[in-house]
Amino acid sequence: MRLLVLLWSLGPLLWQLRTSLLRPEALVAPLREGNPWTLANYQLVLCGDPPFWQYLTNSTLVGLATTLLTLLLAVPCAYGLQKLRGPMRWGVGLALAAAAMFPTVLLFLALLEIARSFGLANNLLALSLPYAALSLPLAVLLLRAAFADLPGELEDAARLEGLGLGQRLRFVLLPLLGPALASTAILVFLASWNEYAIALTWISRSDLLTLPIAIARIGGGSVFTIPYGAFAAATVLGSLPLLLLVLVAQRSIVSGLTRGAVKG
Amino acid sequence: MSPSSAAGLELRQLCRQVGDRRLLDRLDLQVAPGECVALLGPSGCGKSTTLRLVAGLDPASGGQVLLDGVDLTGRSPGERQVAMVFQSYALYPHLSVEGNLDLGLKVRGMAPRERQQRIDATLELLQLGELRQRRPAQLSGGQRQRVALARALLRQPRIVLLDEPMSNLDAQLREDLRPELRRLLCGREQPVIYVTHDQQEAVGMADRIALLDAGRLQQVGSPRELYTNPANRFVASFLGRPAINLLAIEPGRQLGLRPEHIHLADDGGVAARLLRREWWGHQQLLWLQTQWGALRVLTTAEAPMHPEPRLSWERQHELWFDAQSGARLPPP
Repeated sequence: MRLLVLLWSLGPLLWQLRTSLLRPEALVAPLREGNPWTLANYQLVLCGDPPFWQYLTNSTLVGLATTLLTLLLAVPCAYGLQKLRGPMRWGVGLALAAAAMFPTVLLFLALLEIARSFGLANNLLALSLPYAALSLPLAVLLLRAAFADLPGELEDAARLEGLGLGQRLRFVLLPLLGPALASTAILVFLASWNEYAIALTWISRSDLLTLPIAIARIGGGSVFTIPYGAFAAATVLGSLPLLLLVLVAQRSIVSGLTRGAVKG
Repeated sequence: MSPSSAAGLELRQLCRQVGDRRLLDRLDLQVAPGECVALLGPSGCGKSTTLRLVAGLDPASGGQVLLDGVDLTGRSPGERQVAMVFQSYALYPHLSVEGNLDLGLKVRGMAPRERQQRIDATLELLQLGELRQRRPAQLSGGQRQRVALARALLRQPRIVLLDEPMSNLDAQLREDLRPELRRLLCGREQPVIYVTHDQQEAVGMADRIALLDAGRLQQVGSPRELYTNPANRFVASFLGRPAINLLAIEPGRQLGLRPEHIHLADDGGVAARLLRREWWGHQQLLWLQTQWGALRVLTTAEAPMHPEPRLSWERQHELWFDAQSGARLPPP
C-alpha cells in the first residue's frame, strides 16, 4: 500500500527525469539501434540565451525576498494576534482564513494596473510585493498556531527576568519556533517559485523571467514540434533547488524542539 | 510613595476582574520579610491570580501591591525584582541549564565574569554543577524543579513567588524536597508566597496560611490557628483530613466536630451504630450512623469496637456555624 502511494507521487517525477535524458527519437518509438540516452536536452536548456541559470537566479532572488518579507511581517502579526482576546480574535482569524482562500486569478488584472501606475513592471524585487501579500494570510495563520502551542509560562518567566518584547522574541520564542518558521518559509518560497500569472504579466524582459515563465517559453520557436526533452530537462533543473531546500530543512522541520518544555 | 512604612510585602484591596468574572475580590494580605505565607484553596479560588498580580504578569483591576512601603502596582514584571517558580518550571527548552540561568543576567548587561561567578555559586548551592550542560528535556522532574529554583534565586529577588512548585513531582519526592525548599527560600530577607492546593504542603512549608475561596480571603493565620479556630465553615472543612463532621443539631445552626475529637465511650454520650470501618495502619476511620446523620470518627487502630458504641466529645472542641451563611457562631 505504501509502495503504491510512493509510486503515485513519485511516478511522474521519475518519468520526467527519464524523458529529460532520452533522445527525441527515443521518446516517440523505442530505438532499434544506438544508445537512447543523452544529455543534449540539458545542454540545450543550459546554453540557451539567456542561460538557464539566469532564470534560476531570478526565481531564487524573488523567492528569498518574498520569504524574508513575509516572515518579517507575519511573525509580529501572528504574535499580536495570538495575544488578542475576545471577538476581535475570532473576526481577524476568519478574515485571514478568507484571505488565504481567495483565488489569486481574480487579482492579477488589478495587480497589473497597480504595477503599471507605480512603475513596478520588470522589477524582480517588486514581484515579491504581491507574492508576500498573497502568502501572508497563510503564514500568519500557521505561525499563530505555532505561537499558541508554546506554553504561556515560558514567556511569563522571560518577562519576569526583565526581557523586553524584542528580547523575548529573539532569545526565547523564535528559537523555539524554528521548525514552524522553517516549514512556513518553505511554503512561502514554494508558492513564489511556482507562481505564474503575476510573473507573466509583470515581467517582459527575457533576462528577468522567472522559471515557470521561462520554461513555458522553451521551444516557442516552432508550432510543429514540442520539445518534450527540453521541457523535462528544464523542469528537473527547476525542481532541484527545491529538493535541496527541503532536504536541508528537513531536520529542523521534524525535530520537536519544544519537547520537555513543560512536562516530561 | 505610599503612606505605609511596613516592611515586607503588602497587598491592599487587590482586585482582578475579567469581563464580569471576579477572580480576586479585595484581598488584603501582609507578608513580613523572611516570612513564608501559603496561599491555599481549591482550584479557581484566586491563588494563582494573586501571584500573577504580585508578579505584574496581569494588571490589577484595583488595589495596590506594596514592597517595603513602595507601590509596585504600575511597574512591569521585569522592574519588580520578583522571582517566580512555575508549576511547569517554564525552563527554556532550547538552552542548557547554564543557558537558562544566564539569559536573565545577560539581558541585564551584567559582565560575563560576574555572571559566571553567580551561576557557579547558585549551581553549587543547589548541587546542580554536574548538570550544567544538560537540556531541560534531559533532566528528571526533581532536577528541573531545582533548576527553576536556581533561576529564581540567582537574581537575588526581593520577592519570591512559588506557584504549585511541587505538584508535578511524585509524593515521595515532594516530602523529601520540603525541608530543602524551606532551607533555601524561607528565613532570608525576602517575603515568600507559596501557592498550593495541598494543605499538607501548606502546613509543611508556611509560617502562615491564607485560605482563599471564590476570590475571597477566608482567613489568614498560623496552621494551628486555622485548625483550632476557623473563621467559618469553609475553613473548618477545608483544613483537616478526614474532613470535619457537620451536624444539623438545631435549626439554623450546625455543629462541627472533627473526627479526631470524638471518643468512643461505653455509656453516656450519644448513641451510634457502626456502618463501616477503614483501617489505616496506625489509625482507623469509623463511619457511624447517629440520630443527626452519618459521621466519621478517627480512633487508634487497636480501639475495641462495639457494634453500637456511644460517642462523646469535649465542649472545647465544638465549632458552631450558621447553617445558612456558614459563619462561625459562639457556642450556645
